[in-house]
Amino acid sequence: MAEKAFLYDATRCTACRGCQAACKQWNENDEEIPTVENGVDAVNTGSYENPPSLSATTWVKMKFTEVDRNGRLSWLFTRQACMHCANASCENVCPTGAISHMEDGFVLIDQEWCIGCGYCVQACPYSVPHKDEHAGTARKCTSCVDRRTSGHEPACIKACPPGALRYDDRSKLLAQGQQRVRELKAAGMSNAYLYGETELGGLNVLYVLDDSPEVYGLPETPQLATKNAVGQWLSGILTAGLITALPFWFLFKRKRELETSQGGAR
Amino acid sequence: MTWSAPIWIYLWLAGMAGGAYLAAFLGSRFAGREQKPLLPMATIVGIPLAVVGVLLLVVDLGSPIEFWHLFTQFKFLSPMSMGTWILLAWVFIGVIMVVLWWFDSRVAPEASASMKKLAGYLSWVNVFLAVGLIAYTGVLLAVSSESLWASTLLLPALFVASAVSTGVAMLIVSAVVVNRATSEGSSLRVDRETIALMAEADAIVIAIELVVLIGFVIWLVVSGATDALGILAAGSLAAPFWVGVVLLALLIPLALDMAARGKAAEGGTLRTIVTSSLSVIVGGLILRWVITIGGQM
Repeated sequence: MAEKAFLYDATRCTACRGCQAACKQWNENDEEIPTVENGVDAVNTGSYENPPSLSATTWVKMKFTEVDRNGRLSWLFTRQACMHCANASCENVCPTGAISHMEDGFVLIDQEWCIGCGYCVQACPYSVPHKDEHAGTARKCTSCVDRRTSGHEPACIKACPPGALRYDDRSKLLAQGQQRVRELKAAGMSNAYLYGETELGGLNVLYVLDDSPEVYGLPETPQLATKNAVGQWLSGILTAGLITALPFWFLFKRKRELETSQGGAR
Repeated sequence: MTWSAPIWIYLWLAGMAGGAYLAAFLGSRFAGREQKPLLPMATIVGIPLAVVGVLLLVVDLGSPIEFWHLFTQFKFLSPMSMGTWILLAWVFIGVIMVVLWWFDSRVAPEASASMKKLAGYLSWVNVFLAVGLIAYTGVLLAVSSESLWASTLLLPALFVASAVSTGVAMLIVSAVVVNRATSEGSSLRVDRETIALMAEADAIVIAIELVVLIGFVIWLVVSGATDALGILAAGSLAAPFWVGVVLLALLIPLALDMAARGKAAEGGTLRTIVTSSLSVIVGGLILRWVITIGGQM
């Protein structure tokens, strides 16, 4: 099966948040329950951007960034959702094997097998999975595998009015993304960037950006959580086996020697 | 917050259990084989601590009844998977050792030699598992994308030093309790010299832990994780960090152990040592708390 992907073009997005609504609707995810404090909703606050972060029931949301470009204010939009990384931290740390790659490259949490330990939540470099206390599992974007297997587009893509979101073979989208970035650069946006081409072994969600990832709040060099696993184990094992063992060797051995020299008092 | 109280209490309990075992093993080996009570004490007190910790973990799962899914996998890359197996093996072998010791002392003294031998071999297996266990409590957090946990390679070292320190403290407190509860001449008693030596050893381990903590802080700064550090040093966790970790886990017990150094562990000196140990144990819990919570802020 050909590797599939999503492509999000920030330069075409109008931030209507149709994708957000469509995702909630198709996946039957509840709204963020408002916590009213002093008569004001303390969860869904602030600007047009809400809810403030992804959650166990919000799998895609638009992020708004205001940037000063040579005295002119730019209002940038970007999409926050699972990146479906080729090298997926969540999959690596999952202790039950509930998280896996499907043949087409998307990452899925098996809701039947997940025990809700929360490790993927800590491991994801994009803070995507969230533990659902009600369901008892970690939840995130499923790439609408249920729709796709019956020949439909994912809900967010179907809903996108300006065509800022596309779903296709990854190789095709990669070529389209590269072409679009070339156009943007030619139009003077010298920092234009295709995010996801190489990050974490290649993401299955590609981003056309008209500025550097950092400006959009995306990590420029996202790290695999398990990258230093061997070093971390060595840090613990060497400290235990060598450094903290020294005082015992030093003190208790001296005790033994003292006892032996005293004629084996014991 | 995804990982809350059950997790940091568990990391503290498992670290203390494994640390006590490692310390007791090393102390017994280096001092000669006659230091009998230490290793059984560490095993008998450590196993319930680890088991209580595991129960906390299971209860904290989203789907506690499905905890057995953990035992269908063996994933080198997943510290939680490795930790599950290490902990299971350590407790299992520990229980066998306790049974062998019990047989040896009570039931079948005539079979004693072979029982002792087998328990001796198992005690070697379990010391490697104990090292894995205490390392894992730090690796679990360090293999993640939270900057306080993952920006350095020193979190496992810090947790290991704290595990050994709290483990020794727990042994000291257990020894004092056992000595009070048993009469002179009982084979369960730990002599005063050994208690004093353990306090001295703990002082060195605490000094190592202090150095590791300083290295950890410097490394956080160098790697640019100053936001994460700020939460500990000057943010909402500053009070427990400075009072709980720096004072209770490190400086106070270090000062008390130094004051008790070279004196027989009795009367006022014994009280000083026990106070120091209790401070270490409470400080170790606060260390797990501020690191676990701080990493998720």
